[in-house]
Amino acid sequence: MSGMARDLRVEGLAKRFGGLRVLEDVDFTLPPGAVLGVIGPNGAGKTTLINVITGRTPPTAGRILLGSQDVTGWPTHALSRLGVVRSFQQTNTFKTADVRENVARALRFSRGGLDGWTRLVPLLRDFGLADRLEEQSDKLPYGLQKMLGLVLAYAADPQVLLLDEPAAGLERSERSRVDDFVHHVSRQGCSVLIVEHDMDLVRRLCPEILVLDAGAVLARGAVAEVLARPDVIAAYVGADAGDAV
Amino acid sequence: MHEFWSAAIIGVSLGAQYALLALGFTLIFGILGVINFAHGGFYALGGYVAYSAVSGLGLPYPLAVLAAVLVTAALGYVYELFVIERFVDDHLATMMLTLGLYLMISTGLLAVFGPQSPEFSFPVKGSYSIGALRIAKENLVVLAVCGCAIGAIYWLIYRTDLGRALRALADDRQVATTQGMRPRLLFPLAFGLATGLAGLTGALVTPILALSPSAGDPVLVTSFLTVILGGLGSIAGATIAALIVGFIEAYASVYLGGSAGALVLFIMVLVILLARPTGLFGRQIRGA
Repeated sequence: MSGMARDLRVEGLAKRFGGLRVLEDVDFTLPPGAVLGVIGPNGAGKTTLINVITGRTPPTAGRILLGSQDVTGWPTHALSRLGVVRSFQQTNTFKTADVRENVARALRFSRGGLDGWTRLVPLLRDFGLADRLEEQSDKLPYGLQKMLGLVLAYAADPQVLLLDEPAAGLERSERSRVDDFVHHVSRQGCSVLIVEHDMDLVRRLCPEILVLDAGAVLARGAVAEVLARPDVIAAYVGADAGDAV
Repeated sequence: MHEFWSAAIIGVSLGAQYALLALGFTLIFGILGVINFAHGGFYALGGYVAYSAVSGLGLPYPLAVLAAVLVTAALGYVYELFVIERFVDDHLATMMLTLGLYLMISTGLLAVFGPQSPEFSFPVKGSYSIGALRIAKENLVVLAVCGCAIGAIYWLIYRTDLGRALRALADDRQVATTQGMRPRLLFPLAFGLATGLAGLTGALVTPILALSPSAGDPVLVTSFLTVILGGLGSIAGATIAALIVGFIEAYASVYLGGSAGALVLFIMVLVILLARPTGLFGRQIRGA
């Protein structure tokens, strides 16, 4: 990772769509190298939180700071070049391009730079993409498309990486690759925010979690403690919570 | 037999013209997701700018063509930057905005130049003869310029960083912006490039065909037909479809007569689209 690692600080973040409150007074800090899980029921505002932080939609109130720099409302491309990068729930690849061109585009226009290939070689090899560089990305198996999406996000040389359900749609046997990926990037000093419904994955990867409910922070803290709280159990999975979490 | 070869040469020349128009049209659709109903207007405007530069300013024809390209490209760039850009994801709004621009251009030309076609002839006259076959020099010049322009577009799109960014935006705008690409910088460039191509075609072709404020009407129809046949948003598809349309028009005109030619063209396109609804090179789902 190039440049000095910086905290991502979110202060009093709110987002409303008309009269609908989607986020309300969300605060957290993500230090360099930290991994934070964000969980909550469907409609809790998890993806909106990523959308607002990465400039896809402006906040209604609150601030987003990278180190001491206020980046609230910055456009997505500018945040990307600053090192705030996201992935999407669906595969985030250039579908008509082959794997090599996907990576080349990601490197060329992001802060990753074309000399970033060597940084990506271990990931491409571990994900089984190194032998498939000439294949069109949307012809790859779904799991590999998801992995390519993670490689592209990492190609942008992120300081802060926001992953929106990285394990969604993956076979159980493929999910360990997400673990490997997160361990790899966090070791480089990159902080990671993971929105995920797979609680096993959250437990494995995230020392801390933040629970959103109806757009507000219901709880934040160590994963085991938070997941044991009755209000979290009730909000997240309802009566069968004990089994699920 | 010489009719066959004459039609072939006319077909290539027409195909090259249509390819320039269709490339611009498909670039705008593929990258911005906008159907540019003003495309024919830029064609007519290109013709009038070249005409004005030659007859009003006394510029030599090649410089007049260059002026037409620059004016139409600049107008397209500015219109995208200040108008289209605000509504770029609203299909109905962009349809109305481009249609409105076409009406403004055509009525503006009508108000300034009047309804009569001005005297604007191609500076290269005569023909080459090979046996019974005669090839008009103007067709060869147009073919050469269009060929060079098509080559330049392919080079730009497939061999430069700008082209790589434009292809990335056409592929998936969300992913492209996440990787640091700037739609607000690139969209006006793509639009200006496309309208400049329409202006170039107008400056080249209207001295041979006819120059009038409504000269863009058939151009819009042909461009639309060509890109639909080639597959919306497909650059290779637009080029190949343009050549197919050019050949069909030329051969049908030579062997069946003018109006029958248009009929044959529409029937053939209909048959192809029935077999391949996404066009020859179209995708099932467009990312842009």
